Amino acid sequence: MDKWLEQERPVAAPVRLQDNRVMYQPLTASSQIVSDGFVHAENSIKEFFFPRTEKLYNYKFVGQDVELQDVTVEDAPRMVLFARPCDAASLPILDHVFNWDYKDEFYNRRRRATTVVTLACTEHDTHCFCTSVGLTPDSEQGSDVLLLPLGDGNFEVRMLTEKGKELFRDLVQTSDKTAQIPEGPAKKFDVDEVLQFLEENFDSPFWEEQTLRCLGCAACAYNCPTCHCFDIVDEGNACGGCRVKNWDACQFSMFSLHASGHNPRSIQAQRQRQRIQHKFRIYHEKFGTYLCTGCGNCGRNCPVSLGVLNVVEAIHRRTVKASEKD
Amino acid sequence: MENIYKPDLMEVLAVRQQTSDVKSVRIRFKDEEKARKFNFRVGQFGIYSLFGYGESTFNICSSSNWKDYIEFCFRKTGKVTEGLWQISEGDTIGFRGPYGNSYPTEAWEGKNLVFISGGIAMPPVRCAIWYVLENRAKYGNITIVYGARTVGDLVFQDELDKWAEYPNVRVVRTVDPGGETPDWKGEIGFVPTIVEKAQIPAENSVALVIGPPIMIKFTLPVLDKMGIAAKDIYTSLENRMKCGVGKCGRCNCGPVYVCKEGPVFTLEQLNKLPMDY
Repeated sequence: MDKWLEQERPVAAPVRLQDNRVMYQPLTASSQIVSDGFVHAENSIKEFFFPRTEKLYNYKFVGQDVELQDVTVEDAPRMVLFARPCDAASLPILDHVFNWDYKDEFYNRRRRATTVVTLACTEHDTHCFCTSVGLTPDSEQGSDVLLLPLGDGNFEVRMLTEKGKELFRDLVQTSDKTAQIPEGPAKKFDVDEVLQFLEENFDSPFWEEQTLRCLGCAACAYNCPTCHCFDIVDEGNACGGCRVKNWDACQFSMFSLHASGHNPRSIQAQRQRQRIQHKFRIYHEKFGTYLCTGCGNCGRNCPVSLGVLNVVEAIHRRTVKASEKD
Repeated sequence: MENIYKPDLMEVLAVRQQTSDVKSVRIRFKDEEKARKFNFRVGQFGIYSLFGYGESTFNICSSSNWKDYIEFCFRKTGKVTEGLWQISEGDTIGFRGPYGNSYPTEAWEGKNLVFISGGIAMPPVRCAIWYVLENRAKYGNITIVYGARTVGDLVFQDELDKWAEYPNVRVVRTVDPGGETPDWKGEIGFVPTIVEKAQIPAENSVALVIGPPIMIKFTLPVLDKMGIAAKDIYTSLENRMKCGVGKCGRCNCGPVYVCKEGPVFTLEQLNKLPMDY
C-alpha cells in the first residue's frame, strides 16, 4: 500500500471524514483507510472510473477556425481498496453500457488501469438487498481480489484475475484456514415479479401514489454504483474552452425536456418510473442482468426514504394483495 | 486514444434563412478524406456542435446522393440554436454522426409514397423526398402534404415548387386557419383535415408522417381510415439526446433507445412501446 502511495500511484479507499461520514476517496496516507465500523460508504466507486465531471477535449478559436486538442486519460496503474462486493459488481454492469457498439475509452482506460481489491461484507443494514438481485456478501463480480476476514486480523485472499495475482504475489501465505462465508441480508423481493409488474403497469396510478414524496434531488442516482446518465456541456470563454461530460440524472425535470417544450417525463412520478424501469426492465432487456447491485445507497441517502427497495417492496405488497384478491 | 465524443470540424458553406426563426445550413468536412468517405442514409441524424455553446441533435436534411456537402435545419429555440443563428459562411462548427437507423428506401420501392409533414418537421421529410425523386423510376405516385401555422412558417418553399414539377408528384400545401395571406393559393386547414380532403389513394402506399405530436396524433386515424396499415406508416421520433451513442440514458422510449434503435419507427412498432415520447 505505502509502496503504491510512495510511487504516487492513485489509491482510493473508504475514508472517515471529519463529520464521521465514510466515503471512498483518493488516499494521501494509508492510515486514512477504514475497513470496518460502517456498512457502506456514502458514495460508490464508480467515480474512479466515470468521474463526476470529465473533460472530453479542448477547443480553441483561431479566427473563423476552431482547433480541437485531445485529452488523454492516464493509464498508469491505480487501485481501489476495500471496495464492497456490491460496488465492484457494478463494473461488469457498466462495462456493457460503455461498450455496446461505441466504445467509451475514457471509461475503458481507467477500468483497465485499476485493480479492484474488494472486502467481503460482514455486516448489513436494513437498506441492503444484494441477495435479492442475485449477489451475495462475498460476490466476486468485478473484483480483481476478494478479501474475506478470518476474524484474527488476517484475510482469506482470493486472487481472481491476473491484475489481482500481480498485486498480491508476494503478500500472501499459504494456509488451510478459510473464512466463514458471511451471511447476507434475507431475500427481500423477487426480481421476476418486479419485471412482470413493470411490463404490465407502465400507466398505473401506482407511480404517483408511491413516489409523490420524491423531491427530485437525485441523491439516489449520484450515490448509485450503476447509474451512469450524463450530460455534455461546454465550459469556456471567447478564446476557447473545453467540452465536458458531467453526471446527470433522470430525476431532474429538464433531463428529457424537448426543445419544443414538450417533456415525455414532465412529472416526478414518471421520472421515478423511468429509474425503476431502467434498472429492472430496460437494462435487463438489453444486457440480461439488472442495473442494480442491491447496495442500498439510494435508500440510505434519500431524504424521503424512497430508495429502489422502498418502491420495489411496494410493488411486492401490491402483487401479493392482487393475488390474494384472486 | 479513440474518442467517440469528439466531433469532426466542418466548414459552413452557406446559411439560408427559411422563416423568421428557422435557418438551414450547408456544411462540409474540413478534412478532405473524411469529406470523400462520408456516407449516410436518409433518415439518420447528426449531433452538431457550436463550440462555446454546446451540442444539438438535428436530422441530416440533405439527400444521401449529394456528396459535396450535408445540410441541417434548425429553429432558434435554445442556447445552442441561438448561437447557431449567428453563424455565417466560413465559420467552423462540429459534427458527429451519422447516428441512428434510416428510412427503408429499398423496401419502399415499387410503392406509392405519401409524405406528411408539419412546420419545422419538413427537413427530415425533405431528405427522403429528394432521395426518392433522384431515383424517380423506382417509386410510384408521390403525394406531399405540408402544413404550417402561417405562410411565413413554411420552410423550403422554393423546393415545394420544384417537387411539383416532377412526374406524378402532387404537392398539397396548407396553413392553419388565419395563417393565410391574401395571395395564398394553397389549402387552409389543419394537416389531418387536409390529408382527409386530399383523397390520396391508399392502395400499395406507405406514409411518412413527421410533425408535432398533436399533428401526428390526429393524422394517424385519418391514414387508418384511408386503409394504410400500421406497418406502412413511418415516423421519426425526436427525443432529447446528448451522446447519440446509447450511453447518456435520456432518449429511451421504454426499452428502446431512440438514438440507436430509432429515430425511425413504424406505427406498428410505436403501438407496442409505452407512451414515453
